[in-house]
Amino acid sequence: MTERDDRLLRLNAALDGELDAMGSLAFERELRDDPAFAAEYRRLTTLRDAVRRHAPREAAPQALADRIAALTASAPAAPSPQAIATPTATVVPFRRRTWLDSRALAMAASFAVLGFAVGAGLTSLRTPTGSGDVAQNLVSDFARAAIAGQPFDVASSDRHTVKPWLADRTTVSASIVDLAPKGFPLVGGRVAVIDRIPTPTLVYRHNEHLVAVTELPLRAKGASGTSAIDTIDGYHVARWSDANLAYVAVSDMDENTLGEFVEAFRRGGGLATEPSRP
Amino acid sequence: MLTSKSAPNNPCARGACCLSNSIAEQRFREIVPPLLDDAYSLAKWLCQSPTDAEDIVQDAALRALQALSTVSVDRPKPWFLAIVRNAAMTFMARNRRRTVAYVGDMADLDTLDLRQNDDAAPNPEQELIALEDGERLRQAIAGLPSPFLETLVMRDINGLSYREIAEATETPVGTVMSRLARARAMLAKTLRAEA
Repeated sequence: MTERDDRLLRLNAALDGELDAMGSLAFERELRDDPAFAAEYRRLTTLRDAVRRHAPREAAPQALADRIAALTASAPAAPSPQAIATPTATVVPFRRRTWLDSRALAMAASFAVLGFAVGAGLTSLRTPTGSGDVAQNLVSDFARAAIAGQPFDVASSDRHTVKPWLADRTTVSASIVDLAPKGFPLVGGRVAVIDRIPTPTLVYRHNEHLVAVTELPLRAKGASGTSAIDTIDGYHVARWSDANLAYVAVSDMDENTLGEFVEAFRRGGGLATEPSRP
Repeated sequence: MLTSKSAPNNPCARGACCLSNSIAEQRFREIVPPLLDDAYSLAKWLCQSPTDAEDIVQDAALRALQALSTVSVDRPKPWFLAIVRNAAMTFMARNRRRTVAYVGDMADLDTLDLRQNDDAAPNPEQELIALEDGERLRQAIAGLPSPFLETLVMRDINGLSYREIAEATETPVGTVMSRLARARAMLAKTLRAEA
């Protein structure tokens, strides 16, 4: 190997951060003492930067992502009515949102899916109307998730799994209450998009029924409401808030059971997140 | 019996097999989806076709799923990209989509004067202008012979380290280094020649 080859290999290795400490030291001295070497290094850096800028990593097409996901999709999401009602899969079913997360693309895509489902609901969300829009939106979300046989994006009964998953994807710090002793085991979580803000949604199960609790910042439009239970499109909706967050629960349970759930959640939530409150 | 040891009371007749399959699927879901963009980008550069790249990645994913029932993976990225690369080579050999050009072997590469092209008094301004022309740069990259192309893509697009590239391409680190240096020198030369 000629000396010039060696120089060029060192230039590239320095550029790629592959020199060890002693190598870096020698390299820095060489850069300082040899203007031609330094000029060459700058040109190489410019080239590398241009390659990265003009030939960026590309996102895999959605169809490909779906086919790859389908390779191991045997466990969850068998689209039978029974499966819709009772999500018993313990394996975490990664949907594409799970691994395209934290990217604007995923945000846009999930927003688009949601937007498709709720139609004009989203546009009206942006206007300062009553509290019905958020609830309507969440009801549609609930129905869509149930129809898709995929009520959650992360399936876990362990809140220590669900919480960090949601924390990575939303700006609201979800309070997750263990309600299994009350007959409402946690089955997973998903992200609902409310007014273009990703918000954590917890999914609990009760017998054959599901309840999805979406946690919103208090300032969210239409988040607050009375404690009464409404009915929208045949689903029951409960709204309440505490000092930190507003909650909207959507469920296919009957009114009384949902009332019990809300009561348990509020008491459990108080204990879990605000121990000092009476 | 060995199999009954791993799944003593499994009622499933294919106990051990089911067990390893579910573990393989779980590993697969952990490893492959996060690497899909990298895999697709690599495949697309190697075969220069979006649709072929999809086929290659799907083939690679199937191979990975099979392999995961028997192996555990320490470094998922070079491991999976190696499968993608091999799938791409198989695909291109079968479909003759692109001549797989190997320019000499490692010894040839090491004896090449890597800076021979730079002697022709470079014009930094022209080179800068050429670099800003994204389409021309992408064409210059695509025109690199396979060993240089894959090394450059793995480094600058997939972000693998030299060691990881060596692992993924089953090549000594020294060869990775000289291929990368040569790839960049070729790019610069092509862009200057066209400027």
